[in-house]
Amino acid sequence: MKDRYSRQTLFPGIGKKGQEKISQKHVLIIGAGALGSGNAEVLTRAGAGKITLIDRDYVEESNLQRQQLYTEEDVWEKLPKAAAAKKRLNAINSDVEIISIIGDATPEVLEDQIKGIDVIIDATDNFETRMAINDISQKYNVPWIYGACVGSFGMSFTIIPGKTPCLNCLLRTIPMQGMTCDTGGIISPAVQMVIAHQTAEALKILAEDYESLRNSFVSFDLWRNQYTSMKMSKAKFSGCLSCGDNRTYPYLDRDSMTKTMLLCGRDTVQIRPPVTGEISLEQLAGQLSTLGYKVKGNPYLLSVEMEKERMVIFKDGRALIHGTKDLTHAKSIYQRILG
Amino acid sequence: MNKVMFFAHLRDKVGKECLLIEASGKTVAELKAEITKEYSLDKMDTVMTAINEEFAGNEEIIQDEDVIAFIPPVSGG
Repeated sequence: MKDRYSRQTLFPGIGKKGQEKISQKHVLIIGAGALGSGNAEVLTRAGAGKITLIDRDYVEESNLQRQQLYTEEDVWEKLPKAAAAKKRLNAINSDVEIISIIGDATPEVLEDQIKGIDVIIDATDNFETRMAINDISQKYNVPWIYGACVGSFGMSFTIIPGKTPCLNCLLRTIPMQGMTCDTGGIISPAVQMVIAHQTAEALKILAEDYESLRNSFVSFDLWRNQYTSMKMSKAKFSGCLSCGDNRTYPYLDRDSMTKTMLLCGRDTVQIRPPVTGEISLEQLAGQLSTLGYKVKGNPYLLSVEMEKERMVIFKDGRALIHGTKDLTHAKSIYQRILG
Repeated sequence: MNKVMFFAHLRDKVGKECLLIEASGKTVAELKAEITKEYSLDKMDTVMTAINEEFAGNEEIIQDEDVIAFIPPVSGG
């Protein structure tokens, strides 16, 4: 198909040379939910050489409103997102090699996949994985593009090792109780706006037009009509453990990860977050009951009835997920609620 | 005087997109603590701050007329 990329090569920022470069590059997309689906579709249509997609979930009905690669059939078949995405992406552009990995993007998995990657796209739903991506990016000198959204609000920032500050410079710690799509809801336009920012930056990196990268941290609210672009030149933190002089890559360490443990004979998984702190059970209870979950609580814990499972969350962030023996699934449920 | 802007769920909690506050001479951390108390917000430790559209750390001192924006990192995707 000679004409396939003609409109993209006519665009002066890319041209024939840029297209040639794009076609030789390998993109790693972490997560195949809303942001993952959209990023993967744009870059598959744009003719990236290879795309590796990692995701641990399967397709559910509540995904269809915004996760553009999936269909009702995928829901009936309970297909893993990584598998359903590969099927659809292959149908869109057979020139692009799609590698799908069904599983959790742990530091070990990231270390296994990083070789030969030109850019990492963040499409996860939690900060623990983002901090691991951030450390991998610094350790192997591969750029990554942060993107996140909730409600009508979204944000993105491009992190280039050695040039820009990193995510750990900005946050210094993993935020507890970050708003997630399962607690704050989400509308598709917010997703699409983040995807647009991420994929434009990814195309610049793939076409090697580094001069055109954005440098600033963007955030916007499409319902409240707010848009802000924050300059980041002063944000680099010299003592940063991920990108500073005495770096240790703390988030690649097993001890910094959420611990999951199957409780013997109880059909229950215990989840322990990497940082302990106080979460506001009252606020969480309010959010969850607005969303229609049945919530019961006391000053020490909160019990949430979910479709199949029941989750009990303690004040220090520890949780028990009753009704499952699947560690990855339990962690997924936990991070959907607590970020 | 300083214009202080709120994004995402902070805007909902405060009930307004922006406030006019006399904050000059205070550090970002002090302003955060004050607002947290007044609007019974959760801890704002990991909320990012921009002063005049430039990233600012918790120790930075606010000047008169500075425009401050509080941007909470979100995790959905």
